[in-house]
Amino acid sequence: MSSAFQFYVTTLLIYAGVDILAAWGLNLQFGTAGLLSFAFIVFQAAGAYTAGVLALGPQTDNGGYQHYIGGYALPFPIPILAAMAVGAVIAVPIGLIALRRLRSDYQAVALLVVSIIASSIATNETELFNGAAGISLVPHPLADQFGGDLLTYQWFYVGFTAAVCLVAYLIVHRVTHSPLGRAFRAMRDNEQAASALAKDITGLRLLAFAIGGALGALSGAILVLFIGTWAPSAWLYPETFVLLAAIIVGGTNNSLGTVVGVLLVPIGFAEGSRFLPEIGHPGLIDAGQWIAIGLMLLIFLWFRPQGILPERKHRYANDGRLVTVLDELAGWLRRSLALIQRSSR
Amino acid sequence: MAASLVGSNPKILSLNSVASATGLRTATVLQAQDIWRDFGGVIAVAGATINVPRGRITGLIGPNGAGKSTLVNIISGAIKPRSGVITFEGVDITAEAAHRIAHRGLVRTFQLSSEFGRLTVLENLLVAAPHQVGESLIGAVLGKRYWQNQEAALVHQARELLIRFGMSAKEEEYAENLSGGQRRLVEIMRALMAKPKLLLLDEPLAGVNPSLGQEILGYLEALRDDGLTMLMIEHDLAAVERVCNPVIVMAQGKVLAQGTLNDLRNQQEVLDAYFIG
Amino acid sequence: MPYLLGPSIGFGLVTASILALAAVGFTMQFGVTNILNLAYGEVMATSGFVALIVNRAGLSIWFGMAAAAVFGAALSYLLNRVIFIPFARRGTKLFGMVIVTIAVGLILENSILAITGPNFFSYIVPQESTYSVGFLILTTSQIVLMGLATLAMIAVHSLLRLTRLGMAMRATASDASLARGCGIRTERIVDAGWLISGAMCGIAGVALFINTTSFTSATANSFLVVIVAAAILGGVGQPYGAMLGALVIGLTSEIAAAFLNPAYKNVVAFVILVVVLLLRPQGILAQIAVQREIAR
Repeated sequence: MSSAFQFYVTTLLIYAGVDILAAWGLNLQFGTAGLLSFAFIVFQAAGAYTAGVLALGPQTDNGGYQHYIGGYALPFPIPILAAMAVGAVIAVPIGLIALRRLRSDYQAVALLVVSIIASSIATNETELFNGAAGISLVPHPLADQFGGDLLTYQWFYVGFTAAVCLVAYLIVHRVTHSPLGRAFRAMRDNEQAASALAKDITGLRLLAFAIGGALGALSGAILVLFIGTWAPSAWLYPETFVLLAAIIVGGTNNSLGTVVGVLLVPIGFAEGSRFLPEIGHPGLIDAGQWIAIGLMLLIFLWFRPQGILPERKHRYANDGRLVTVLDELAGWLRRSLALIQRSSR
Repeated sequence: MAASLVGSNPKILSLNSVASATGLRTATVLQAQDIWRDFGGVIAVAGATINVPRGRITGLIGPNGAGKSTLVNIISGAIKPRSGVITFEGVDITAEAAHRIAHRGLVRTFQLSSEFGRLTVLENLLVAAPHQVGESLIGAVLGKRYWQNQEAALVHQARELLIRFGMSAKEEEYAENLSGGQRRLVEIMRALMAKPKLLLLDEPLAGVNPSLGQEILGYLEALRDDGLTMLMIEHDLAAVERVCNPVIVMAQGKVLAQGTLNDLRNQQEVLDAYFIG
Repeated sequence: MPYLLGPSIGFGLVTASILALAAVGFTMQFGVTNILNLAYGEVMATSGFVALIVNRAGLSIWFGMAAAAVFGAALSYLLNRVIFIPFARRGTKLFGMVIVTIAVGLILENSILAITGPNFFSYIVPQESTYSVGFLILTTSQIVLMGLATLAMIAVHSLLRLTRLGMAMRATASDASLARGCGIRTERIVDAGWLISGAMCGIAGVALFINTTSFTSATANSFLVVIVAAAILGGVGQPYGAMLGALVIGLTSEIAAAFLNPAYKNVVAFVILVVVLLLRPQGILAQIAVQREIAR
């Protein structure tokens, strides 16, 4: 592989990992707990900003040309962990708005408004957030260990992102396949009945916002430490629609479906269109992408609202254990083997 | 309120005397006193007072708009009264949130089916069980080994209920695919999984065919004989006559009378408000 | 102080007028049809561009506005018939419907972008003169917009209170199945709701574009959030509430722009909205409305 191509592939893999992490977070809120979380971008942006400013040195560095909170030059992985904590904590104010007894669609719009407020404040508070310019020159974590070998570092960051995704998957899987996940789904299906069965709806909602928010912040942190810059204009609410489209296409409340959706929607589209020749005016391809995302949402909601990989039915074996994918595969193998034996006899 | 509160059923009498001997259990499980509630100027409940005696199925009847459902919603914490006091097992629960009240063992069913549609029948039952260790974030993240034993016990318990209610075949069916009557059964089983001390049933026979209705009444009687206390809103007077004693009559937000259905049939004001209409 | 307050109240009243046109249409659509249509901003934009074509053809912008009203009504009617109703019949719930309307909005907005490119456009408006009314200084088109909004509000009021159609619409809005039981042909009422609110949406789109002087395919969409804020502030699905909400948000945002950072124009409006959501999620007018309905 040529090194230019390797740079391209590694960057793409890292972007995929970031989108997958974010989509899992949103899926937990939307697909599992039934919260139409249109403010999701706020979790991502806050996590990215937190990780960025904690990794950066003091404001006086680089001639003091940018203003930001923090600047402690904290070592890896503290900025990432702090970003996750911030993501979980801002779930509280965001959750408080969503907790009001509003109809679910009005709640969604209220959250949309929250994300626009957040973005205006970030753009206008130059003293705190450096305004529209955002922050830049965020140091790459552990880059000094690799000397100047950028390509090796790219591959290292791919591995790091993959490892984070693996750990995140295990945690998400444990949550969705636990009694907690079941309580989330019960709340999603009928909130009033869940609360009559001693489920604390306030607590469950806040928890779903917090877990999903931490994952969203994690995705933002990993992205900002890789690209080294953060600007409010890169974190606008339409990005949430892209993730939502990925989840709906891939399969609501199915972690693997979400991966499929991310590979198809943000990665497939963004990269597919990269190879299109420049036609028409500069905004044309962009517009085409959004039209395609809109059409895809409509097509899937009409023909296959459950997505490519639908939510898995939770079955229990005779001994009361939850039947896993592996169990099902084993059972299928056993049945096919028996069939083969019978036919060969 | 001529009819007596203390029933003629000897079994209940003995239960109550045992209770008073141990000093732990009083004859009244739930007391709602002088409850008022209005909606934008329309008074729905106007100073209703009811007592729910232990170990029986108390019927709550009355014409449409009498305030029965509102009263049950108030008792279960779904809406708050403007004034009045509700005590459950001697504790004032008036100001508590719905899930806290449910936690105390006061569990309700809904007039309109309220199953969790995208959960299987078995999951609908499992989710209702109280005190699940895997329902906290830490419990969930610690993983299966941490909550598996409790879960297996709950699955066993839920399957026994499914057998008892003749629903084993539907264990893996999504609740949204069930018939109206089957949804009723799921809702009752689900409430039982919550280990209720008092079960509030809001029209458990609504939309159920007569033979399944009789079956449900049979289940309720059996549960009562096991010692479960119930308060049941029901329009079908034959059903009320079969299982409810005492019966409380409400009209225009007030309690008109209380007694056995036979006693009530002879009271003029009850006849005026309800039986004639 | 007054030299700042005067103009900002003027701007506020103009913004409030446009907002009232848009928000009353939006809230009516929601009240009668029960669909929270997040493609509303894009229908405004599409109508505004239709007016641009008429205007470029040499006709007055007020003709353009009439054309936009017809187009907005037709487009809204079609969207409902061709997309929203079929999805609702298929069992798409509140949630799903919001996503459907967003998808439709994305398609509309980016179709305009694909055709027009990322350029700024403006209408050809006849020479403006300025008038001073008390302490307010207003241009011709601003006065026309305010007059137009006032007329539209009176028309909506008469429609809802005085006509059979209006009464049927209110009945459908408060309980569709009951209305159907009373012999109201709710399907027709819903159609009428989309047509009327769509026309208001089209007018509002042109009014917005006249007022912002230069616009892109995304201008109306960013205004949608303010519209929704006014509608929620006034109480979900209530035309009178939306008028009041529009007035509050129009005035506060312009006054805030004059005295605080202009960039916080909309933020102030949103903060009001968030506070209302926290303290009084049913909106400021809901209680009054409930009591009135029952007193009748």
